[in-house]
Amino acid sequence: MKRTGIFVCHCGINIAGTVDVKKVAKELSKHKGVVHAEDYVYVCSDPGQNIIINAIKEKKLDSVVVACCSPTLHETTFRNTSKSAGLNAFQCEIANIREQCSWVHKDMEKATDKAIRITKSTVQRVRRNESLEPISVPVTRKAMVIGGGIAGIQSALDLANTGFEVILVERAPSIGGHMIQLSETFPTLDCSQCILTPKMVEVSKHPKIKLMTYSEVQDISGYVGNFKVKILKKPTYVDPDKCTLCDECTKVCPVVVPNEFDLGLTGRRAIYIPFPQAIPATFTLDIKSCPGLLPIACGKCADVCEPDAIDYDMKPEIVEEEVGAIIVATGYDLYEKELLTEYGYGKYPDVLDGLQFERLLSASGPTMGKILRPSDHKVPKEVVFIQCAGSRDPELHCAYCSKICCMYTAKHAMLYKHHVHDGQAYVFYIDIRSGGKDYEEFVQRAVENDGVLYLRGKVSKIFEDNGKIKVWGVDTLTGKDIEIDADMVVLATATRPSKGADELAKKLKIAMDKDGFLAEAHPKLRPVESVTSGMFLAGAAQAPKDIPEAVAQASGAAAKAISILSQDRLYHAPTVAKVNINLCTGCGMCVQVCPYDALSLKDGKAEVNEVLCEGCGTCSATCLRAAIQVKNMTPLQVNEMIKASLGG
Amino acid sequence: MVYFGDLKAKKGKIHIDKDRCKGCQFCAEYCPKDVLEMSEEFNVKGYHPPYVKNEDDCLYCQLCETICPEFAIFVTLKKEEEEGEKGESRP
Repeated sequence: MKRTGIFVCHCGINIAGTVDVKKVAKELSKHKGVVHAEDYVYVCSDPGQNIIINAIKEKKLDSVVVACCSPTLHETTFRNTSKSAGLNAFQCEIANIREQCSWVHKDMEKATDKAIRITKSTVQRVRRNESLEPISVPVTRKAMVIGGGIAGIQSALDLANTGFEVILVERAPSIGGHMIQLSETFPTLDCSQCILTPKMVEVSKHPKIKLMTYSEVQDISGYVGNFKVKILKKPTYVDPDKCTLCDECTKVCPVVVPNEFDLGLTGRRAIYIPFPQAIPATFTLDIKSCPGLLPIACGKCADVCEPDAIDYDMKPEIVEEEVGAIIVATGYDLYEKELLTEYGYGKYPDVLDGLQFERLLSASGPTMGKILRPSDHKVPKEVVFIQCAGSRDPELHCAYCSKICCMYTAKHAMLYKHHVHDGQAYVFYIDIRSGGKDYEEFVQRAVENDGVLYLRGKVSKIFEDNGKIKVWGVDTLTGKDIEIDADMVVLATATRPSKGADELAKKLKIAMDKDGFLAEAHPKLRPVESVTSGMFLAGAAQAPKDIPEAVAQASGAAAKAISILSQDRLYHAPTVAKVNINLCTGCGMCVQVCPYDALSLKDGKAEVNEVLCEGCGTCSATCLRAAIQVKNMTPLQVNEMIKASLGG
Repeated sequence: MVYFGDLKAKKGKIHIDKDRCKGCQFCAEYCPKDVLEMSEEFNVKGYHPPYVKNEDDCLYCQLCETICPEFAIFVTLKKEEEEGEKGESRP
């Protein structure tokens, strides 16, 4: 029989307010095998932990149960406490009488009874606990960053500057993401390209960064510290080492398709460079719009290419890499045109989205910084900006706030007035969310210095009439109907997780929230970690966010990754599944149900990869012959816990 | 729809010498834009030559010209597009 000690925590009144903790301790002291039971106001405090240490030493305890909050919070604390007193850490278990008892009940008598049962069942469990040591695994000192926008670039640079090798994988032909498309950035109005391109150049020149553009993560296996990734390198059909950027190929290419970089405001050839500062600086042949790769089907670009850089025989390539940590920074896309038809978006050429307007404002944009209507290239004199186009609309569109639109609309309206002094800018808004350093002052500047007219209300109808875009709405502050004959309408379209992020999340086995953004492990305390250990989140892939926040999170994710990469070895909980070879029939049912791919059949018997196993117990529940059990949570222990819970 | 810049898709004008055609159909089969189709009429040799179904789609890739075993078809670049060819990048 073990000698178990019980420590019941009051947690202030969090537990003691609903549970009679003294009674719990008293009842437990009568339980078989319990040689010590006491309560204390905060067991997690230093004096509280000393009580445990002293009791272990004085009463020669060989197992400890702490009845307190959830094991996700203080299990590590109390296991370390027990260890410091000479116990094996796995001889300490937590009875959760807060989240699973006091917080969800009101009746003190019943709650106390339940707390006693929970604690008793944990005592039954710990009686049969084995002493275990953590499993240690080596670490691959290399990281992968997925996504080459500002967040991915920042993470990659932080990791590389710390001395770790980084693979930066980007789907598009160039890094830069959406930030490189922007004109100026709020609230300082510094040029986006001017502040981003130095970082892009640093990435391309950094000896520790392996840049893989036009590439996608295809498959991933392994576990924290030891991931194996397969990256698909799509053929660009242009050898970047030979290409001299002479631009002769685009002159002969017969095809014109909308240029993604300018969001369709301009065209590009099938062979193109996304923008002049693209990294890597090389052309890409877009096979989807090319008439065909057979040299006789067109083949004009290869004919004129003097350095012979165009190679129609280039094949897709699978690159295999081993990395220790992964940062996912896949960014955002704008809400689809097809889903936002009520504002004439996609129907009238002069109804633009925020990114298209950014391109019009950009000094290197389609109009060289002149604000012109796409339809007739005239300067618009009345521009209506509509906020929350798709955001904060739970009935029809996205329920969430896209966060950046209030600020960029103020910036758009301000910059419009800087370009067109005699023009008038109107902003329809629900309310202004300008939380952030210098943000509120920025919005006020737009209103006071630049005379932007803010109208609180929603737009009811938009239609084209006589070359103008009629905007009907209502000002809810005055209750008056508003009609504006606008020359241009700019929608602050909702942001969404980037296309394909859901498929990637499935491959990486990281969770998504209800809107498709990647889910963090804890909304407050683990905001840059995913639920899968070793994978971190950065930027707008996790939630809509502006540049400073994306950069901060990217650096945070890099720091988290470094905390893994800088270890000599990693340790994994030893409470994993164990196969009884004599009972196993090799039916393979456990292999199929394991959510972590930790099981396989070897020589007709199940085998556990202890590093992948998270000890969830699904295999144990599935096995018909009880041939597989999780250490310290065996069927025998579960059975005794149930008996204790039922009062047996 | 592209709104800014003078980048235009190239347009070809297809010239068919019907009487040289031997009706192999390579041009109609391999045209990436399905511009050509075989006609019902007969040429002097008794073959069905191709005809231009939708010339606006022709990209001036000249695949038909290259592939034709009888030198019966060739493509020229339409004039106005030749002028637009100079300013390639941005306005």
